[in-house]
Amino acid sequence: MSEKIGIYVCECGPNIASKVDIEKIMQELAKLEDFKDKELVIKNHKLLCSVEGKKFLEDEINENNLTHLVCAACSPRDHDSTFINVCKKTKLNPYLYQMVNIREQCAWIIPDKEEATSKAIRMIHGGMDRVLYQQPLEEKQLDSNPDVLIIGGGIAGMEAALTLAGKDRAVYLIEKSEILGGKSAKLKELLPRQGVSLNILKQKISDVQSNRYIKVFTNTKLDSVVGFLGNFEIVIKDVTDSNNTTELLAGAVVVATGFDLTDVSSLDSYNTKKEDEVYNAFEIEEMLSQHGKIIMRHGKEPGKVALIHCVGRHEVGYCSKVCCSYLLKIAKMLKDQSAKIEVTELYKHMCLPNKQDETFYEQVQGKGINFIKIKNAEVVGTTINFTDIADAKKKLDVDMIIVGTAMIPAAGTAELGVELKTDQHETGFFQEAHLKIDPVSTNTDGVFVVGGAHGPVGITESMLQAQAAAGKIFTQLIPGQKIIPEIKVSEILEAYCTGCQTCLDVCGFGAIYFDEDKGISVVNEAICRGCGNCVGSCPSGSIRTRHFTNPQLYQEIKEALR
Amino acid sequence: MTEISKKGVLLDTKNDIQTSILQFFQNAIEKKIFDAVMLPMKVPSGDSFAWIMIKDLEILKSAQPLAPIMPVNAAKALKRYTRKGKGKYKIAVLMKPCEIRATVELTKLNQVHLEDVTLFSYDCVGALPMQDYIDDPKAGDEKYSKLLTDKNWNYKDVKPVCKICDKFSLSASDLHFALNDQELILLSNREKGEKLLTDLNLKTETTLTKWQKYIEEKKTIKLKNREETFEIIKGMVEGFENLTETFANCIGCHNCSSSCPICYCRQCYFDTSVAKPNSDIVMMRAEDRGAVSLPLDRIMFHTGRMAHMSLSCVSCGLCSDACPVNIPVAKIFSYVASQTQKTFEYSAGASVGDALPMKEYRLDELGELGELVKSAEVQEGSHE
Amino acid sequence: MSKILKTNNPIEQTLKDILKYLLDSKHVSAVFSLRKVNKKGSVDYGLISDVAKLNEIAPLHPIMPANAGQLLGRFTPMNKPVAAVVRPCEFRAFVELAKREQGQMDNFLFITYSCGGVFQLKDQAEDKIKNKLNGYWDSIKKGEIHESIRNSCKTCEHIVPLNSDIFISLVGEENGKIYLNTEKAEKMLKGFEIETKEAKFDEIILKNLLTQRSKYKEEIYSKIDTKDSGLDGLIDIFGKCIGCRGCNTVCPICYCTLCDFDSFNYDYNTPIMEKELAEKGALRLPPDTLFFHLGRLSHMSFSCVGCGMCSDVCPASIPVADVFKKTGEETAGMFDFVAGRRVDEEIPVMIYKEEEFPELGE
Repeated sequence: MSEKIGIYVCECGPNIASKVDIEKIMQELAKLEDFKDKELVIKNHKLLCSVEGKKFLEDEINENNLTHLVCAACSPRDHDSTFINVCKKTKLNPYLYQMVNIREQCAWIIPDKEEATSKAIRMIHGGMDRVLYQQPLEEKQLDSNPDVLIIGGGIAGMEAALTLAGKDRAVYLIEKSEILGGKSAKLKELLPRQGVSLNILKQKISDVQSNRYIKVFTNTKLDSVVGFLGNFEIVIKDVTDSNNTTELLAGAVVVATGFDLTDVSSLDSYNTKKEDEVYNAFEIEEMLSQHGKIIMRHGKEPGKVALIHCVGRHEVGYCSKVCCSYLLKIAKMLKDQSAKIEVTELYKHMCLPNKQDETFYEQVQGKGINFIKIKNAEVVGTTINFTDIADAKKKLDVDMIIVGTAMIPAAGTAELGVELKTDQHETGFFQEAHLKIDPVSTNTDGVFVVGGAHGPVGITESMLQAQAAAGKIFTQLIPGQKIIPEIKVSEILEAYCTGCQTCLDVCGFGAIYFDEDKGISVVNEAICRGCGNCVGSCPSGSIRTRHFTNPQLYQEIKEALR
Repeated sequence: MTEISKKGVLLDTKNDIQTSILQFFQNAIEKKIFDAVMLPMKVPSGDSFAWIMIKDLEILKSAQPLAPIMPVNAAKALKRYTRKGKGKYKIAVLMKPCEIRATVELTKLNQVHLEDVTLFSYDCVGALPMQDYIDDPKAGDEKYSKLLTDKNWNYKDVKPVCKICDKFSLSASDLHFALNDQELILLSNREKGEKLLTDLNLKTETTLTKWQKYIEEKKTIKLKNREETFEIIKGMVEGFENLTETFANCIGCHNCSSSCPICYCRQCYFDTSVAKPNSDIVMMRAEDRGAVSLPLDRIMFHTGRMAHMSLSCVSCGLCSDACPVNIPVAKIFSYVASQTQKTFEYSAGASVGDALPMKEYRLDELGELGELVKSAEVQEGSHE
Repeated sequence: MSKILKTNNPIEQTLKDILKYLLDSKHVSAVFSLRKVNKKGSVDYGLISDVAKLNEIAPLHPIMPANAGQLLGRFTPMNKPVAAVVRPCEFRAFVELAKREQGQMDNFLFITYSCGGVFQLKDQAEDKIKNKLNGYWDSIKKGEIHESIRNSCKTCEHIVPLNSDIFISLVGEENGKIYLNTEKAEKMLKGFEIETKEAKFDEIILKNLLTQRSKYKEEIYSKIDTKDSGLDGLIDIFGKCIGCRGCNTVCPICYCTLCDFDSFNYDYNTPIMEKELAEKGALRLPPDTLFFHLGRLSHMSFSCVGCGMCSDVCPASIPVADVFKKTGEETAGMFDFVAGRRVDEEIPVMIYKEEEFPELGE
């Protein structure tokens, strides 16, 4: 069969057509008549990604018996998969199609129409030559495992487990402590007056424990994970006996490892000892569940209490969202406990983002609490030296201090991130795939992050995220559905490999392992994402990425520069 | 200066340095401190040397610890022994400092494994050009033994790159044989070395001040040579025209890379099929410029090699020894290496602990890009 | 029957004119020839498509920076016609490569000549040949061996590849003679305004030189009689090898992308090394120094064309070419085979005959 390249130039409505001379492109391409002795079909279209455009492209491929296809249109990021899907409806192998970006790389960045047009023509030439060097690739299909591993048995982990199990999805829930419940188990009362926390939580825990689709492992942590969406091989281990391991298979992983609170003694501005009457939220909650009220270590009720907001906020570099409303809750509790208690709230910012917060704030303000906006504060024992917003330096002696400390990633978050090959934000929390449009996914397909592991959140947000992650899993991991792993992966020519393992160091996905017997590095194709880092790092050129081989790139560049 | 030892062990030099060192190793093997020692030995034809891993004490007698030439960089020899698998033997290896540096670099690249190896270095007076020695081995032997004992170190006979080497003394070895005009002092340079001296029951009683002064004097001379030479080399390699002229005689035999201890690739990128274009491309290149020189990309091979290995170049000079058309490859690479290593604040072979610049990511690197990313993120974040 | 071109111009000039004509008339797309690249006298091979750049060529210059057979082999199949001026050993190398599917003769117009030998690359690098050139050309006219050429040239007896398209007789000639051996050559040069007549090259003109060379060969070969000295003799010769593989890299016949001896087949585990060390008491590193040369002898000496590149690049002054050529000739002689003589002459190790080694059958 003779080879025939179809070249389709998309006008992208006015997006390309107004900035690039489509007619000129068509004229120049027509001049080629044949290109490397190949037959050419050259056409333009108003909007190739439209329903009508896709049908047009499909018909063109079929009617002309195209062996290669070039679409000069927008960014592959926008519509590569659109055209790949068109190819899949025809006999043309989708990897014998190439996209040329004449929108972002020409129309939108070059003000001069003539220059933009000339660049577009060169790039199309490059794409035409590249496509001739491309190889048809056949996608593989793998069975997917629909089960889910959830790391962390706090409120977020449990909610995700229950949501998934609600649709008969098998869940493995691992928790490193002895009991389920996490930090929420320590809260006596949820804001504002939404019932007693313990009852809600107890119900959740018992739901989880009695659900036949959820298998709970307490005193357990993650040992290792390899794999990808639909196929993770997991080893978990007993916290106390690391030789006691269990192997699991799952298709997705939900990280719900929670958060810790900043230790005030680690802050420069706090000089307090263990026995001082200084408490953080957890300590107060513990006190409340033990004694039912807030008292000092010797059992007496405090006369003067100071509540300090934003403790450690400056040091960690972010707002922890929940502490302001939390301290308001405590202030109210104190006043409810005894109107005699003098309560002072020292705050830098009052962060009350939820719709019900403002009403609650007003309610608390009516309780005779002293609110002071400050610039900074230093604490020695239970003495506070602070500067108010009028720059006046003041001193406050109290019986008890309650601090609203910043939330920080739970211990072990960094190690977990390395094991899961997920990025971490500079704050140490897990990094979401996209802050706005993909907030519970991570850069590793099939790994999701919810609750405090994600960043400072309250219970509401934790629940939202857990439910969102479950939703994502329902849509991405459908029982019985085959998984198509990345096909444009790297491969190592074992004859050339010298085993220096530089590629292992630069691989961000852990997709390369070292074969001790042969003394060479090997790519695990199922995990490789084809980023090409290893190709660049290999001095002997023994690694190549399919669909991005040297000949393909050289040809493209060569024709574009000719 | 080494942190561990302020004093060294004075070794007996009744006969000569070579014999004393040989006796040291013999003794260590007899005491089962080592199972084998890797030393140079004369080849049967008598006009060159080879690296031999020796276990048999009888064979050890014919080894020559300090060889006048360096036909193979010891790091490369050690690589072939330790690269794959784990052995049982404890090995001692005596090397020139540049070979120690190459060993350190190869260790970082997983080509050499040092768990069972104790590295010994010595104050190197330089090596003779291999061709000179092969042409007249007897004269070579005489010249070299003179160099070893000559108070004033006469450099005129050594390889050009040795004349400008300022790292000829203490290196990242475990132990070091310090030589001044009269004494032979063994000093430990690492914990491993310290332990060995204890095991051998050797007393570190000799002060090192005299030796240190001696080495510093030599270093000053070499550094001066180095600066002058680099000034000349700079003119030879800066700019494409100069580079082309300097490498005009290159025939593309790749002896420089295949003899280089750092070029550890099984197959050089420039010899693999990925770097060999087909006839159409060759013809196109000819047509573009009217003519094309063959083999293709001879300059690119050298610049490519500069990019790939100059960060790890230890200036051992094997490339020049192996060049059939007398291109001063070693001096050129030494100069380029000094520049690239300076850029990355890296010194090839200084310590196994220093990460190879190309192999690590640092949070603070390319700070200016980080700032750009940050400001973009902030902007994105504010577009609610 | 071949034809001879009648010319009174100096032979190199006529050759340049022919090449210029071929390129001008678009009979060929490019010319492959030696060129001088600078005032120092450095030469390289060039693929030249611009007629103006033909002035730089020095097609008969007695330097071989690389075996042209190797260079051409890398770039075939050539899809456009090319005229290539190459030495007989380079032509023979290309023929051997073609037999091994590493080159295609199509689209080449081969121009060869009776070669007087080449100088050593080292001498050229050290600028020692300029004042020897006149003497060199004189010796060719007289049909004598020039003292400074490569050893392998001094022993070379295959200097007339009559199956090349154009052959230039230089040895023993006052001014060379140009023979058109093939129809392709005649056709291409039809428009080249020089008279031709039927003529056949007579090898008698080489007699003097070939006699001298065979004599010299015997002398050299007797010095490297590895048959009598056996393993020790080989160790003596190759013991100083530094393992740079230069011989293999520049060898036109060693066409493998990755030599077996550099592959991981020869990466021994440390325990294996230890075993060897324990048995023998000592172990040379890197290992397999002699094995590499023996392997190469068995892999390629059949096709060795005796170009001498290996000896020229050997940094340890090992007479590689002498050993390989001698071995090659001896083994090939058993099969009445000459490397590179004809494209259709099959390499003995690449064919099976029913009746081979009957003594083993017994």
